[in-house]
Amino acid sequence: MNDGPAISLRGITKTFGDVVAVDDISLEIPEGEFLTLLGPSGCGKTTTMRMIAGFEDPTAGAIYLRGEDVVGVPPNKREVNMCFQHYALFPHMDVDENIAYGLKLKKVPRDERARRVQEMLELVGLAGYGARRPGQLSGGQQQRIALARALVNRPAALLLDEPLGALDVKLRLQMRLELKRIQHELGTTFVFVTHDQEEALSMSDRIAVMNHGVIEQLGAPRDVYEHPESPFVADFVGVLNALELRIDEVTGDDAIMRVSDTERVVVPVAGTGVTAGSTVLAAVRPERITVTSIGDGTTSLLKGRVEQVVYLGTLTQFHVQTSLGRRVIAHRLSDDGAARITQGDEVSLTWAREDGSILRVG
Amino acid sequence: MNMAASKSGRGLLWTSFWLLVVFLYAPILVLGVFSFNDRDIVSFPWQGFTTRWYEGLFDNQQILDALRTSAWIALVASIITTVLAIPAAIALQRRRFRGKAVASGFMLAPLVVPLVVLGTAMLLLFNYIGIPFGPITLIIAHVIIALPFAILTLTPRLERIPVAIEEASRDLGAGALTTFRAITLPLLAPAVVSAFLIVYVISFDEIVLASFLAGTTTTFPLYVFSQLRLPRQLPQIPAVAVIVLAVSTMLVVSAEVLRARSDRLLGEGQLRVDEDDTATVVGAPLGAGGSM
Amino acid sequence: MAIAGTTGPRRSRDAATRRSASTWAIVGAPLVWVIVFFVIPVIMIAVYSVGGISGLSPNDIEHWTVTPWKDFITSSTYMGGINPLGSGLFWKSVKMSLTVSVTALILAYPVAYLLAMLAGRRKYVLLLVIIVPFLTSYLLRILAWRVILNPQGVVNTFLQDTLGVTNEPIQGLWNSNFAIYVVLSYVWVPFVALPIFVTLEGIDEHLLEASSDLGASRWRTFWTVTFPLSIPGVIAGFIFVFIPTIGEFVTPQLVGGPSGFMFGSAIQSAFTAGLDWQFGSAMAMFLVFTVAILLAIFGRWLNVRSVAA
Repeated sequence: MNDGPAISLRGITKTFGDVVAVDDISLEIPEGEFLTLLGPSGCGKTTTMRMIAGFEDPTAGAIYLRGEDVVGVPPNKREVNMCFQHYALFPHMDVDENIAYGLKLKKVPRDERARRVQEMLELVGLAGYGARRPGQLSGGQQQRIALARALVNRPAALLLDEPLGALDVKLRLQMRLELKRIQHELGTTFVFVTHDQEEALSMSDRIAVMNHGVIEQLGAPRDVYEHPESPFVADFVGVLNALELRIDEVTGDDAIMRVSDTERVVVPVAGTGVTAGSTVLAAVRPERITVTSIGDGTTSLLKGRVEQVVYLGTLTQFHVQTSLGRRVIAHRLSDDGAARITQGDEVSLTWAREDGSILRVG
Repeated sequence: MNMAASKSGRGLLWTSFWLLVVFLYAPILVLGVFSFNDRDIVSFPWQGFTTRWYEGLFDNQQILDALRTSAWIALVASIITTVLAIPAAIALQRRRFRGKAVASGFMLAPLVVPLVVLGTAMLLLFNYIGIPFGPITLIIAHVIIALPFAILTLTPRLERIPVAIEEASRDLGAGALTTFRAITLPLLAPAVVSAFLIVYVISFDEIVLASFLAGTTTTFPLYVFSQLRLPRQLPQIPAVAVIVLAVSTMLVVSAEVLRARSDRLLGEGQLRVDEDDTATVVGAPLGAGGSM
Repeated sequence: MAIAGTTGPRRSRDAATRRSASTWAIVGAPLVWVIVFFVIPVIMIAVYSVGGISGLSPNDIEHWTVTPWKDFITSSTYMGGINPLGSGLFWKSVKMSLTVSVTALILAYPVAYLLAMLAGRRKYVLLLVIIVPFLTSYLLRILAWRVILNPQGVVNTFLQDTLGVTNEPIQGLWNSNFAIYVVLSYVWVPFVALPIFVTLEGIDEHLLEASSDLGASRWRTFWTVTFPLSIPGVIAGFIFVFIPTIGEFVTPQLVGGPSGFMFGSAIQSAFTAGLDWQFGSAMAMFLVFTVAILLAIFGRWLNVRSVAA
């Protein structure tokens, strides 16, 4: 068994004419990891994946699959398989033939082929569907067949290109769990591409957040969400309040901005070099903010007027115009207290100092 | 890496493509060369450049008459065909009705039926009814064979006009005829022009039915046909051939360019999967209702 | 005394009948034209060929009869005893049509493949380049070929005078079967390329990527994925050429010399030279039956849309 990473990208760059789609990316993906490339359209995540698969060759840099340099090796000779966004099932073959396609090319004997196809169909929960044609299957079923077709070849890694995008919400949520289960059962390395941050957060071992061809942050979901390292990451992953603050005083590890006699914002600034007089961009997640009708605060305290209440079922979202001169979004579980706060009410917003972080100094 | 062909495969295919283009256009170029050859018969050797064959065309009554006859027969045939093809296309593309398959079969069958059968059939009919053979019988026959082409030119365009805008027009108070006149027809117009030009060229060039049904009328193809049966050609033939080919090429090309350009205005209305593999609906500024 | 609930269904039935009435009004005119000038005449051939109509030509039999058919089927010239490998004119025409269709297909497929899969944004322009000759004058292009292929023509002059390869003109290029095949293939290749192009274009490129991803070489991908999916277009193209060409007679007559007499020529001369119209009608009707049978067999691949590029 291989000790090193399943996939290793070193200094990968890809340009299309003048456009730099991928800009000097390096990434090591260990065996068995579920890694997601997350980012908006045009960030280079799909291009990166296609380079791993072999449909594009990098303009510069090296790609190693289980230690082997594969740049220049055509896709049909690489030990990775791809699950395409719109499934790309062969319409003129039935399900069995689709799944067996790769096995046949590897000259796997008929009996073993049939056995492995059957195994896969059971794994994805579609046993008995072997004789059907892709056209007869629903979107969700086609998705699972595409998965089976790729996985039956026991690839070193499975590349999934926004596979859940075409499914409706309930099915999508179901498939997320399915994919995780299958990945755990097989132990295959999964490289998942998506622009849906919820998907990324719920499924990944690690997330690489990409923007304009670079990886802005690489880390476990919790880290990426709770401690975003750049304004882009903070904004892309989850909802974020980005507050521009002029620091009045730095005490120990805390920077304080006095907003008014009764209001102040406190942010931890250890190691950031922030001093009195600096301007910083601080971030705090909406669900970390407690919304209460006017009362006493603990550490950070802001007052404001509710401009809009958005009921989201589990959560209620409050858009509050604050004395900072900007809107702050706060989430609160939809309990009775939340239901009592309406548009136009004066509220106070409080959060613990650890829940704020510095995005940018200056 | 290109999935469809290797580098050498691509080279081979492009070569075969250009060879085919040469194969397709060489005869036309050859005609062109001979049309300027200062020699009394159409053959080698090259005896100098001249435009006298072109000039001589204006004195050749036979050729001019044949051209004129074909020109106006084609004009009438095009008008009738286009006028019939528009409702036909609308009915076939937008409506459901009993016997639609049969009706569609009847209107489109002339595409595959051998012309000799069509010629025979209409010969019998006109004889039986007693219509004299000439321009009228030719026009009728040309409409029959050109109608499928016209319908097939209009249908794709019609598919791109979302039914939703016609429904919107009705919803806002317009009757069926007004909706057609104010909404459908203007949007259909480029395809109508395209169909008209294609039918024109088809009619102008038609020989088989003409050989059955023309009576004493001489259309341009019939004239060329009679010339071809002579052992040697008059050099004016290549000259007129070049002119006719050039004009019909221009007509066909403009028909197609027109159609393509106006299709872009209407929006492609198709799913495009771009670089990032995100699927977007392209264009369709008039509403993506219709045929999605 | 109308009960409130009954006005609903009645109104919608009116709308439906109004709509279908208007549909018939719309499709009426072209349909009538086609029925009067196409369907009825074809029926007339059938009836005429068995004597149901008469008096149109001097040799007509005045009563119901199968004589024209009998004469035709049993003639050795035309049917050659219903032996496809024999010398019957009909089979000769079928063979000619088959050769032309297959040749055109073989020439057209690579071109269609190139344009659909490899030409990128230029594909429609290049397609137009290929199609335009098809839509311009057919006869004039035959004239051009005559100028090229005949014994005093371009090819021979080139071979003799310029290259000095032969001393005498090659006769077989013109007024021969070779000429028929060349000219007819030339005429049809653009038309055949269209449905193949449309079908190939419709193939999702991700299928090719999936095939490659699963381990197939390009050649393998072509045979197991691309080609099978293009077959409907190939068949459509084939049928669009094969069927009309069986009755083709103008080109063979002009370029085929003594071997250029086809089944279609026989039909035409029955009406012009021979004045045996009923016999000619029987032959024409036979062709209609052939076409009908071929359409019945291959009809399901004939998605006419594939031609409407």
